[in-house]
Amino acid sequence: MKDRAEQHAMSLDPVKLEIIRAGLQSIPDLVEVDLMRTAFSPLIYEYKDYAVGLVDVEGRSIALAQHCLPGFLTNVLGIAVRDGIATYGIENIEPGDAILCNYAGLIGQHLNNVIMFTPVFGAAQRIVAFMAVNVHWIDIGGRVPGSCWGTDTTELIQEGLQFRSVKLYRRGKPIEEVFRIIEYNTRQPHALLGDIDAQYAACVKGRQMFEQLLVRHNQDFVFEAIQTIWRNTAAAARAAVRAAPDGVYDMNCFMDDDGIDIGKHVKLDIQVRIKGDEFIVDYSNVADQLRGPFNSGIAGGATACAYIAFKYLFAPHEPANEGSFEPVKVIIPPGKFLSASANAPIGLYQTPLATVVDAIIAAAAPALPERVAAGHFGCVGIYGFNGTNPRDGRFFGFFDTCHGGWGGSMHGDGVGPYKTIRHADNKDIPVETMEALYPLLIERFEWCQDSAGAGQFRGGLGIRKTFRLLAPCTFNCAFERFDYPPWGLNGGEPGVPQFGVIETASGDKRVVRKASSIALQQGDRIHIHTGAGGGYGPPKERNGQHVQEDVSAGYLSAEHARAVYGVVLNPDGEVDRIATDRQRSISAGQPFDIRGHIERLMEL
Amino acid sequence: MSVFVAVDTGGTFTDLVMFDSEHDQVRYTKSLTTHDNPIVGIQDCIEKANVDLSRAMLFKHGTTLVINTLLERSGPAVALITTRGFRDVLEFGRGSRTEPFNLFYRRDQALVPRQCRFELAERISGTGEILVEPQRDDVLTLAEKIRQLEIRSIGVSFVNSYINPCHEHVVESWLREMLPDCYVTVGSDVTREWYEYERTSTAVANAYAGPKIGSYVEALDGRLKAKEFGGQLLVMGSNGGVLSVQHAASAPVLLVESGPVGGCIGASAYGRKLSLDNIIAFDMGGTTAKCALVKNGTFGVESTYYVGGYGRGIPIRAPVVDIVEVGAGGGSIAWLDGQKRLQIGPKSAGSYPGPVAYGRGGTEPTVTDANLILGRIDAHRFQGGEMALDVDAARLAMRDRLAAPLGYEGERGLLELANGILSIAAVKMSGAIKKITVQRGENPRDFVMFAYGGGGPLHGCDLARELGIPIVVIPPQAGIFSAIGMLLSDIRRDESRTFLRRLEIAAMPDVVRAFEEIEQIMAVRLAQDFGRLPVTFERSVEMRYVGQYHSVRIPAPECDVTRLRADFLRIYRQQYGHASETAPSEIVSLHCVASIATARPPIKGLAGDLPVVASKEKRTRSVYFSNAEGMVESAIFAREALPIGFAGSGPAVIEEYGSTTLLHPGDRFHIGELGEIRIEIAQ
Repeated sequence: MKDRAEQHAMSLDPVKLEIIRAGLQSIPDLVEVDLMRTAFSPLIYEYKDYAVGLVDVEGRSIALAQHCLPGFLTNVLGIAVRDGIATYGIENIEPGDAILCNYAGLIGQHLNNVIMFTPVFGAAQRIVAFMAVNVHWIDIGGRVPGSCWGTDTTELIQEGLQFRSVKLYRRGKPIEEVFRIIEYNTRQPHALLGDIDAQYAACVKGRQMFEQLLVRHNQDFVFEAIQTIWRNTAAAARAAVRAAPDGVYDMNCFMDDDGIDIGKHVKLDIQVRIKGDEFIVDYSNVADQLRGPFNSGIAGGATACAYIAFKYLFAPHEPANEGSFEPVKVIIPPGKFLSASANAPIGLYQTPLATVVDAIIAAAAPALPERVAAGHFGCVGIYGFNGTNPRDGRFFGFFDTCHGGWGGSMHGDGVGPYKTIRHADNKDIPVETMEALYPLLIERFEWCQDSAGAGQFRGGLGIRKTFRLLAPCTFNCAFERFDYPPWGLNGGEPGVPQFGVIETASGDKRVVRKASSIALQQGDRIHIHTGAGGGYGPPKERNGQHVQEDVSAGYLSAEHARAVYGVVLNPDGEVDRIATDRQRSISAGQPFDIRGHIERLMEL
Repeated sequence: MSVFVAVDTGGTFTDLVMFDSEHDQVRYTKSLTTHDNPIVGIQDCIEKANVDLSRAMLFKHGTTLVINTLLERSGPAVALITTRGFRDVLEFGRGSRTEPFNLFYRRDQALVPRQCRFELAERISGTGEILVEPQRDDVLTLAEKIRQLEIRSIGVSFVNSYINPCHEHVVESWLREMLPDCYVTVGSDVTREWYEYERTSTAVANAYAGPKIGSYVEALDGRLKAKEFGGQLLVMGSNGGVLSVQHAASAPVLLVESGPVGGCIGASAYGRKLSLDNIIAFDMGGTTAKCALVKNGTFGVESTYYVGGYGRGIPIRAPVVDIVEVGAGGGSIAWLDGQKRLQIGPKSAGSYPGPVAYGRGGTEPTVTDANLILGRIDAHRFQGGEMALDVDAARLAMRDRLAAPLGYEGERGLLELANGILSIAAVKMSGAIKKITVQRGENPRDFVMFAYGGGGPLHGCDLARELGIPIVVIPPQAGIFSAIGMLLSDIRRDESRTFLRRLEIAAMPDVVRAFEEIEQIMAVRLAQDFGRLPVTFERSVEMRYVGQYHSVRIPAPECDVTRLRADFLRIYRQQYGHASETAPSEIVSLHCVASIATARPPIKGLAGDLPVVASKEKRTRSVYFSNAEGMVESAIFAREALPIGFAGSGPAVIEEYGSTTLLHPGDRFHIGELGEIRIEIAQ
């Protein structure tokens, strides 16, 4: 019989477990900051388009950085590691090696997302884990600058270079010929090679920190702790699902089109089934693989969206690991646009995904009413300008994305403006930066009155941003959810979707939704409407006082207050109770004409 | 005029340090902070310490008034005037969510509601040219609206005023003339860096805190003068230097971290005197632990600060000493989450009700309760014996709430659990120290730790061991070290300008000209506040590779391209582990620090009268040490009874008013020449 002290030293007590947990989580969290601070690509430093994590030799995730893009939850790091081991054989992976992988057939994200990983060696010189970093490479060849921004590519090969498990470093030394291939297949070698340096440095730093942790806390304890963490996380996730009512829940909606077959809607019929401790997302009825670049592979598309939605619904405040998604089952036949084949065009894979996540959350609404919100503006809404900057005669390329309103919920009005549900701590580019660097003048950047989806708790408003061009340039955009605008919930109205309006110097206006390389002249204007959130509950039930406050702040016009909310204000701006009661009783049941409403907004 | 005074008004206590150089005498006092009117607490300190203000030359003051006004939203209604088309920027923020999976995440509300945000037709271009001039009549109309709303404070922030502030200045002068009773702040006066949201937010925060801080410093000055104070009142800025009363009143955002920086200044001053180049300043209080790096006597200064934290707070562009803070202090509560995991903080029992042992109704065990159960603090000598602690209550709460549910049984289990709480708290605090070292390319092993604040000396050695830090220094009067730091501070101003240029020879004349212009403006302003005194300027630039977003700070004593490039590569490589020799680099902004030395007391005198020989009295107590796996009989010393040169080794406890130093078995200490406790950590 061992004495108690000895016994205790040999077992994993709750304190030691917490210390190891904190130590593990701090590794990707510390490394991520370096990556962000040294990045050349705005996709990294601003959009946090990267994932940083530790995975074990079977590709199971040990710890993931908490502040990268939520879209990276699916364990593509582990998928890459498994492919690397299968390709090289674990006995041929040496200390200081780094392997690249962006193979679309497995990773299912656009080719710019390149995973790099390096082995962590433990006791007896055996590989025990990998430090892996997935980074958006700024340009990896292909048909258009930036590789993935074309709205009309039809083949994967048009979108850049593909690495299927290729060593970039051997025993800590760069493999020069691979670097040469990369250098001569990108439009931005300086920036890309700089970012690759940072990516490798992040792998090395994470590996060193993990090796120190293994020594400090004893390798057996650490892996016992990892197993316990997975087990407890999975148990908590299953318990959370068990607490939700069983049932079959559907959401039927669609996206505008795939950029090629304009106007042909992309069906997004999703079924969520909650059965005991299983959360099943069934995509069997979504659209087939698309001709245009809005496809994703199963890991990058179907699975990622199910995981993100699951986390929003069941475990919003926990760092993710291998156990987090145990209750989630994804059902999707191959060949759907969220489970596309290995050679499908995939460049703008991220565009539909925020809507997919939103639709899963909407499906689950009857089961989890207090955890959901109405639809958010819902699409990255990427747009950009390319041309020659008259100040220095150099080529400039500038892109931006929308931040808009989120949906109302039983807890209150919709929040925002934020980037989409797949984004998080991503900051909007300041007007002063744009004007200092590019031939653009931003004339207004303001709330768009009457854009919010009406409801007892209204959606967050959309933004209107007007650019005046100080030089000729070309314009690209990929806006979505125009034909199926951000939905209301429980009687709430939809929000105004995102779109652009081109206004020529002569005053002609036209709407743009998805477009590539539209030629524009100096003096032309582009008005971007970023999109608003849907409302929650019937607008007629909104507190008159809240309607009045919105009118007084200018979020809402008095006409809209009367027409949509049935709230009549007197000339002093106070609620006219008698007129309001009358208005609310007579116009009950009249459908809201969002189409007409959008057309009025376009004119502003 | 031989007396120096520093007063630090904190969340719970107001601390005072006085040094009389004529009689070589130092005095310390502490009073409860009087939140309704902090001057009452200050006055109480002055009376308790019997300070002769008529002989005082300098009175330096750290205050939490600005940060509290912003956190509690207790300022007046403010109006904002922006460029037409941009009044909503203040409400948009930057469109980011710091809680990735929260559908309902909300930032703290904007300080000015939309109804009080007005637009003016005016425009400066992105290169600084005037596109649309502001019209006086338009401003007159706005002034009338603001008058009708009975608003007394106005922020003005125009797009691109960082590059050309002329419109802001003309509108400011009109407003002062039209609304003479109003407090007016223009963004470009507070910061000349780009980013319209951050600058607008700064202007608004300044307008929000301005009226209150203005009347406060005036009242304090008046009260001191009534006590025959003929010297100068200086206010502690968050940049680590003191500023004039007028400057504080016109730019209150410079005071957001007015208190905590004191300790960093103190660590820097002691470090210089002790020839310690690399210091981690570690301050642990009731609610949080804070740490900062002091290298070669200087600390890093960040230019953006978030009121109430990055998570939801509003940004302020103002120089603040680079401090990393974590929610682990003496009052931090230990609790079990939904998965029965042991968590420490960030919720704190604060000073009221405080830890269970305080007997003021606290029911949740805290870090202080754990320290008490383990014998690390003495129930009868806490705060110099002013407050008796209830060990039994602490033990009971710990057993029922934590030990029993987690399966820690009996006396031994209780001790192991209490020790576990301290270990987890240590992990959180060492995480903060790793952030400020590892994340900035430094290795904690290359540093000496200065531990102070109520809890710093108690936890410092644990942390040092965890991080491999070889030496811990506990400065004299560790419990009120921030006030000592203030006493040792100099006058300082920071100025920054966004200044985007490729690093090339052709750009250098512009750089030099811009620096000279900044320095000239600073010299004029300093002369207005303090008369003609010798000013030292320090130049630095923010640099990055072309195409990058984040930048690193490079000292620029001479504006030489070759040297800047070499220093950039060296510092970049040190911080991140790699640097491209070929990629081009650029300057993003220019920074200038102006300082004027103030008369200060000799550091050695601050330790007070130490005995020449140690007292013979021997005391011991049982203290739990994890590396001894149980209670160990430990020597107990009263700090004031230890002479310079006294040496000893752990296990030991050194007690003083306001803090307790804990040495583990094997740690060795001696009392240094400045009265500091210098501890060598057994590794």
